[in-house]
Amino acid sequence: MKNFEEIQVSLSELREAIKRFYKPEEWHFITINGTDVGDGIEIKYFFAAYGKSKKVKAFSLKIDYNQTIPSIRDIIPSAWIAEEELKDLLGVNVEGTKGGIFLEPDSPQAPLRKEVKNG
Amino acid sequence: MGKKFVVPFGSQHIAIPEPIRFIFTTENEIIKSVSVDFGYVHRGIEKACMTRYKYTQVPYVVARVCGLCAVSQATAYCMAIESLMDIEIPERAKYLRIIVHEMDRIHSHLFAIAHLSEAAGYENLFMRVMRDREFVMECLEILTGNRIQADYSTIGGVNRDLTKEVYEILKPRLDELERRLYELKEIFERDYTLQKKWKGIGVITLEMAQKYNAVGPVARASGLATDCRVEFEYLPYKELDYKMVLYQEGDVWARNMVRLDETLVSIRVLKNAIDNLPEGDIKVKVKGNPKGEALIRWEAPRGELLYYVKGNGKSVLERLRIKTPTFSVIPVMKELYYNQPYAFVPDITISFDPCLSCSAR
Repeated sequence: MKNFEEIQVSLSELREAIKRFYKPEEWHFITINGTDVGDGIEIKYFFAAYGKSKKVKAFSLKIDYNQTIPSIRDIIPSAWIAEEELKDLLGVNVEGTKGGIFLEPDSPQAPLRKEVKNG
Repeated sequence: MGKKFVVPFGSQHIAIPEPIRFIFTTENEIIKSVSVDFGYVHRGIEKACMTRYKYTQVPYVVARVCGLCAVSQATAYCMAIESLMDIEIPERAKYLRIIVHEMDRIHSHLFAIAHLSEAAGYENLFMRVMRDREFVMECLEILTGNRIQADYSTIGGVNRDLTKEVYEILKPRLDELERRLYELKEIFERDYTLQKKWKGIGVITLEMAQKYNAVGPVARASGLATDCRVEFEYLPYKELDYKMVLYQEGDVWARNMVRLDETLVSIRVLKNAIDNLPEGDIKVKVKGNPKGEALIRWEAPRGELLYYVKGNGKSVLERLRIKTPTFSVIPVMKELYYNQPYAFVPDITISFDPCLSCSAR
């Protein structure tokens, strides 16, 4: 069973929702996860409450493959690494990411896309 | 305005036996900018677990994410699946998971302490710590059958029981290991040179730890009280007298001492678990395929490990996501280098106990 709270947001609401919610002394930003669901990418931003048992929240949205998502690194400075990973492993366009940190140029690109077959 | 030098650190560097590359720009030997690249060993483990392996085979695949914390990887995955499929494992299996998990933490921490000692030029201390680490490696082998890559956890419980014979071997070894750890603590607390070398170096303040979402011993050395054993309560640590270790200094010294103190806490938890091991089965049968999504935050030796699983009722998962502790501390590590003398880079880097193979997975 799902053991975290999920809040659905739209692409246009994403930054504002995280900005309103995130307080670094109360919430620990865990990471961003992307999943190729066949007709787009489902993206979740995970947070855990400091010192509170099992309290995990996720801001969730679904985008088309060619859509660009805004960066949140000005709100959460450590988010750059998760955004770079999203770009490299799933080919998601994130504003301000350059890619190439997680993969070398000669490796299969966006390997977690369903269309990329396991070699 | 001094001379500018660009200094590469890695991708292979004598101070750190894993592939990561930093490019430092220094001015009068003070670091003014840094870029990082650590994608040298991406192995596609997540992809393989979403295409090639059934969810019941995955514990044995994800254990290969990391040599040092293999137990953490496999057990965290099993617990995420158990949470998703609403599987309640026997109490005895929970205690056995704690026992192996804490042994894993002790040998990982001792490896980090030895490595940092070596970087400080203390080769003899390195050898001494590694010698003492052998006690716990032997204990792991006796209990699980392997020194590393134990493959101990399975979905529904664990693969081997702790017999009376094993108990008789483990108990005196843990006592001896505890005695030696107290001796080591005295060395690190009293040695003048190590204090001069590590105190006040590479300081991460509490605000910085929060701002950059540090995890594990790195966070706790800066006074940030975060530990998934407390925050996610995935195993019954409360019953075993577990207490969080916190330091406030945030320097190389504090990160080393947090790890050393945590080995002593682990010994206490281990002894309590072994002495109060509940009777009963060690695993339950698992039926069906996972459907839905679940996650677990797991306190691996280096800090928060996240396993997120999503199933669609088939035997192969739709998504497996692994977020390792080193992945979470790279942002604070990168920030910390600014305005530090280049000469401190090896000590600062090793004090994070980074694992790049984990992070690239």
